[in-house]
Amino acid sequence: MIPNRLFMPNATQETVPPNGYKLLTLGHKVRILIEKKAVVRNIWLVLILLLSCVMTLGIGTMMISPKEVIAVVFGHGSPMSQFIVQDLRLPRLLAAVFTGAAFSLAGCLMQTMARNRLATPGIIGIDNAAMAFAVSSVVGMGLSIAPSAMALAGAATATALAFGLAGGSGTRGYRFIVAGIGIGAIAGAVTQLLLSQVSIDVANSAYPWTVGSLSARDPFMVHILGAGVAVCLVACLVFASQFALLPFSDQVITGLGANIKYIRIIALVLCITLTGLAVSVAGPVGLVALVGPEIARVLARYRGIPLVSSALTGALVMVIADLVGRTILSPIELPVGIVTAVVGGPYLIWILIKRSSRSSL
Amino acid sequence: MLKWFSVTPAQRPLPSVLMSALFVLTFCCVLSLLLGAGGLAPHASLLTLLGHGSADAEFTVFHLRLTRTLVGLFVGLTLGIAGALMQAVARNPLAEPGLLGVSAGSSFAVAMALVLGASTATLTVGIAQIGALIGCLCVIGTAKMQGQRNDPIRLVLAGAALSSLLLAMTSLILLFDQRAADEIRFWVTGSVAGRDTSTLISVLPSMLLALICILYTAKPLASLALGERVAIGLGHKPRRIRGIVIIAVALLVGAATAIAGPVAFIGLVVPFAARALVGPDIRRTLWLCLPLGPIIVITADIISRLVAQPAEMPLGVLTAIVGAPVLLFIVRSHRLPTL
Repeated sequence: MIPNRLFMPNATQETVPPNGYKLLTLGHKVRILIEKKAVVRNIWLVLILLLSCVMTLGIGTMMISPKEVIAVVFGHGSPMSQFIVQDLRLPRLLAAVFTGAAFSLAGCLMQTMARNRLATPGIIGIDNAAMAFAVSSVVGMGLSIAPSAMALAGAATATALAFGLAGGSGTRGYRFIVAGIGIGAIAGAVTQLLLSQVSIDVANSAYPWTVGSLSARDPFMVHILGAGVAVCLVACLVFASQFALLPFSDQVITGLGANIKYIRIIALVLCITLTGLAVSVAGPVGLVALVGPEIARVLARYRGIPLVSSALTGALVMVIADLVGRTILSPIELPVGIVTAVVGGPYLIWILIKRSSRSSL
Repeated sequence: MLKWFSVTPAQRPLPSVLMSALFVLTFCCVLSLLLGAGGLAPHASLLTLLGHGSADAEFTVFHLRLTRTLVGLFVGLTLGIAGALMQAVARNPLAEPGLLGVSAGSSFAVAMALVLGASTATLTVGIAQIGALIGCLCVIGTAKMQGQRNDPIRLVLAGAALSSLLLAMTSLILLFDQRAADEIRFWVTGSVAGRDTSTLISVLPSMLLALICILYTAKPLASLALGERVAIGLGHKPRRIRGIVIIAVALLVGAATAIAGPVAFIGLVVPFAARALVGPDIRRTLWLCLPLGPIIVITADIISRLVAQPAEMPLGVLTAIVGAPVLLFIVRSHRLPTL
């Protein structure tokens, strides 16, 4: 007979992490398994992100050298460059970093949950619905709730609808995604409808919501988004071991003793929160959610779910896209949504053309 | 009458269905002439129609509303037929010119032409048709390269990706040119208002060409529905048929887009309704698409005029609100019907 303890390791017994991993124990319940390689990778990503941030702060109509930028960040430098960097470029940069991270993290979660690379918030209509709700609040058709709160409500509604309409097939398969496309189309039409109903001034004030752009954003919302991203990132780390089960089939997850509904609901709530907040800062720029996690997955060599790396690569993509949009055709400024669509569209088509030899992710 | 409902759609006699659809269409056209946003009451418009109206009323009814109705008639006709053809050739109930990026390709070409100096008034339909053709070829190419023509939903995804790309490029172009952006802003959501009948006349030659294509391909398409091998066995050349049909679709969608802007979902709803009424045979479906398309467009146009008086809402918005649920319904239906 096989000894029982082989299958039921004693909880009090010290758990030895596998090779290349480190186990962090916080209190009694929370245990986080950290891959050492992932830590190194993320440190590299942070360094690259910082580098591109310094570049972004320096490049523009008025060029500022990286040395000067660093001096300004630490409180020195001429008043002119201080004004440009701190008052003009820094808020925008922060908005780019946070929205990129939020979209990308949300995309990574949604893709993992649906086991489908195409299931990103932008494609399944969450962006559009958040936009429609926010616009309805701006033009005064909502219940006088702040646009950001309405954006969150819209994100939640669209997700619920997409799941409901996907029917018995669950989140698997393309049915879920085409249902999302339909919802996105309706939300887009409703937005147009609302905009065509009101006077031109109100429509103009609602316009920034409908294009993905980082210019002239509410600094208060950027701070809220920053806090939201931080909280969600920590939550992701805490639940990382549960999320790691998501790629398996429902039977396997249940067999491993996890509560699949509970995991899904947590992932969904995180996803909706991140998308709603990000849309309320930058409008629908959802294609970042397609590209960011993919780069992270390639960097991670398809091992595990690269949540932190996704957030970092998303931020990086957003910062670079905004930089390109600002500089490539200056003095005309391209909204970042257009840059990401021009880059992300061909990439999406490439995903569809390429037959994936690996898993569905 | 009861017998009519109890038989399967494919067994219903085509003439009776067609006649009732035509009757409804006439009714819609009359309604479209009678109802509107202005101060003209329906009975006053009726008097005008009978020849006893004031000059103002005559202008409203015969100049504004009649043009509008004619444009709606034309747009519904072309988009409905184009949708039916596209679904037959892709063997996919979700294939729709708007969803597959054909309209987006067309509007991209129009935006390009506007920026290069044309104006919406003098715009040649040919540009929109070339754009539509390129859009068509891109989608079909994508679907072919992935080698999964049979997966209906993937084709839609490819189309959605292509659409979003083309829309982004369109807005990119418009950023450079304030004048073009102003001209295109209302056009881009799709509308049948304020168009000129002269555009209708200018598209007639290409419509004639499309008609010849359709007459030539209707029978082979019906056999293609039974499968590629069956079609070859019956002596048709599937490749050539597909090519001709795609050209016809591009001609139709390009013309409709040039006149009314991209109106999505008509090509999805109309063949869907037609199949529900007379069954899947393309020869019967095409006949029924003729009245059904205009019925839907004109009804949508009447609603869009009445809902938001005295302003009006873009037609494209209304068709999306009507059409997207149909898309959801088709996707949700337990077994995706393959054509």
